[in-house]
Amino acid sequence: MRIALIGNPNSGKTTMYNALTGRKEKTGNWAGVTVDSKESPVRSQFCSGAEDCVAVDLPGAYSMSPFTSEESITSSYVLNEKPDVIINIVDASNLSRSLFFTTQILELGIPVAVALNKSDINEKNNTQIDEALLSEKLGCPVVKTAAASQKGLKELMDTASSLVGKEQMAPFNPGQIDKDSREQVIASDRKRFAWVNTLVAKVEIREEQTKDQALTDAIDAALTNPVLGILSFAAVMFLVFYISQSTLGTMLSELLAGWIDTFGGWVDGLMAEGSPLLRSLILDGIIGGVGAVVGFLPLVMILYFLIALLEDCGYMSRATVVLDPIFKKVGLSGKAVIPMIMGTGCGIPAVMACRTIRNDRERRAAAMLATFMPCGAKLPVIALFAGMFFPGEKWVGPLMYFVGVLLILLGALLVRAVTDVKAGKSYFIIELPDYKLPDIRLAFGAMLSQGKAYILKAGTIILVCNTAVHLMQSFTPALKLVEEGMEHTSILAIIAQPFAVLLVPVVGMAAWQLAAAAVAGFIAKENVVGTLATVYALTSYIDTEELALISGGSEAAAVMGLTKAAALGYLMFNLFSPPCFAAIGAMRAELQSKTWLLAAVAMQLCFGFVVGFLAYQVGTLLTTGALGAGFGAGLAAIGAFAAVAALLIIRARRSVNKETEKVMA
Amino acid sequence: MTLRTVEPGKEVQIKSINTEDEALKSFLFSLGCYAGESVRVIFKKKRNLVLTIKNGRYSIDSDLASMIEV
Repeated sequence: MRIALIGNPNSGKTTMYNALTGRKEKTGNWAGVTVDSKESPVRSQFCSGAEDCVAVDLPGAYSMSPFTSEESITSSYVLNEKPDVIINIVDASNLSRSLFFTTQILELGIPVAVALNKSDINEKNNTQIDEALLSEKLGCPVVKTAAASQKGLKELMDTASSLVGKEQMAPFNPGQIDKDSREQVIASDRKRFAWVNTLVAKVEIREEQTKDQALTDAIDAALTNPVLGILSFAAVMFLVFYISQSTLGTMLSELLAGWIDTFGGWVDGLMAEGSPLLRSLILDGIIGGVGAVVGFLPLVMILYFLIALLEDCGYMSRATVVLDPIFKKVGLSGKAVIPMIMGTGCGIPAVMACRTIRNDRERRAAAMLATFMPCGAKLPVIALFAGMFFPGEKWVGPLMYFVGVLLILLGALLVRAVTDVKAGKSYFIIELPDYKLPDIRLAFGAMLSQGKAYILKAGTIILVCNTAVHLMQSFTPALKLVEEGMEHTSILAIIAQPFAVLLVPVVGMAAWQLAAAAVAGFIAKENVVGTLATVYALTSYIDTEELALISGGSEAAAVMGLTKAAALGYLMFNLFSPPCFAAIGAMRAELQSKTWLLAAVAMQLCFGFVVGFLAYQVGTLLTTGALGAGFGAGLAAIGAFAAVAALLIIRARRSVNKETEKVMA
Repeated sequence: MTLRTVEPGKEVQIKSINTEDEALKSFLFSLGCYAGESVRVIFKKKRNLVLTIKNGRYSIDSDLASMIEV
């Protein structure tokens, strides 16, 4: 039995899906979180007797006629896949809009059960809905549910499974209409809405919400105020990063890193008699490399926890409203804010979230740029460099996010200049969901599942990469052990050397170790940390006064031989060059064009190089009064990038001019 | 008069939606925003305004607001 969950955006379909199946799909308190269909078996406690019960979660839609790509997923799923039962999730707090869609669903000939979801909110607001009457008028069962607290789910599932094989009558008869005639469809839809309005008037008693409403109005007015709104957005984001990366997160990370250090020492003691190669593989390659990554786990988990709180309380849509005018100036939609905030967690869902942007060009631009926001996997890289090279200086982390935002804005300008000069008008409308207290349990769950994913990644991809890196640096191409002082003859050094040359304008020297770490970073950004820890045999990697004393944080910095300016340049190159392969794959899916994907990766590579170059060269100039190594070569490369960009912009202008000429003629 | 110039707080009836963009029009329709329906502007800012359509609350930009004739 296949049960499709269908309803308006933000009516709670994914929350119900997660409750029914035990999955942990992404939820959020705004319209358009789910952009793809997903299916999974229903937990046995909810489907007594029924065998092979599968729930299908679909993106939200307002009607059966698709206007957005998510809506077409939903309507084509229902029309082509023919589920056995449809559960129509109705947001009980906005009955008339939801029931418009319901009447269309009831015409599909598939049995429907209506879940009157968010019924707890109605109880709080004193809105009463006569379910018996509603069920009678709609001609289908109606069950009160509250998916977030799992209320009514058993009853809903029992009702749904009892419907299998039954016929479904449609309560509203649109009469004979020609579906191809716009006027007839519009006229019939008007009648449909009128029918729904009459129905709602009969079944719903609503109390005027004066007090709560006034409070929401006041908060909304403040949060969407051009000045106050931007300030609060900045404050909220700052707080998220401050808590996760400068206070609580670092404290816990220091603790964990200390334990890993102790563990390494203990293993070292056990292996004192073992072969030096194996010992170094396990200590430097595995415990050192993977441990370096795992040590940052608390930072990442706390970040995820805070983002989950933010996503659940209803703030995200308000942030898009206040940033829309700014984003519009550079040719982006305000909705690009959501991918940006999600991008601080992981770039892949962030790129996918761009799908809710209606305008084609704006959507692609957002998908190209979303990964400039430093993600959770880049967080360890930031923390490592901030701790090693800038101990006690709090500006490094915030600066990276600020540069990320800046690059998104600059990149958007560039994309607009290259793609279309006379951009068509795009309109902005977004639903503002009710505010609610964020669900701590939900945020905790998100944190745990992301933490688990992080550890799994560290135990698989990162472990394999670090082992490979360690072996490659231990052997020469002739498969002989690398001798002391001859590290540059290792396989790893030989492979990485050509890339190292490219990095000279960014770090001021050709260090194969840095190049190897940057390349490994394309597999997963945590690898930058793991590889550096492995190749430099670092034992301590986090800024703490105590740890620095024990295992020498600044000593570790000295091993790498980088100046502060070079460290900053290298860090920024890693953060703002193309993301990991998985995120590039997500970009390919969203951009749906090889040209766009190629342009995206090329742009990211150029931007990464340029900011790294600027950070290193300007930093060097400021600290030493002279330019860093590789300045001329770097400048020449940037000149070449600029020339290509200029050519593309001129070409875009010309083609626009030609079009206008054609129109004029 | 358009939504852009309407006084906040009052319930107003939509007369027409002036756009060639049929997809946008249909989208607004499915939210319950079409000629004959009533909406209420909650507050206005320079570049956007917040209104309720049926029982949903939305923010729209001023370009969109000036297309909605009331």
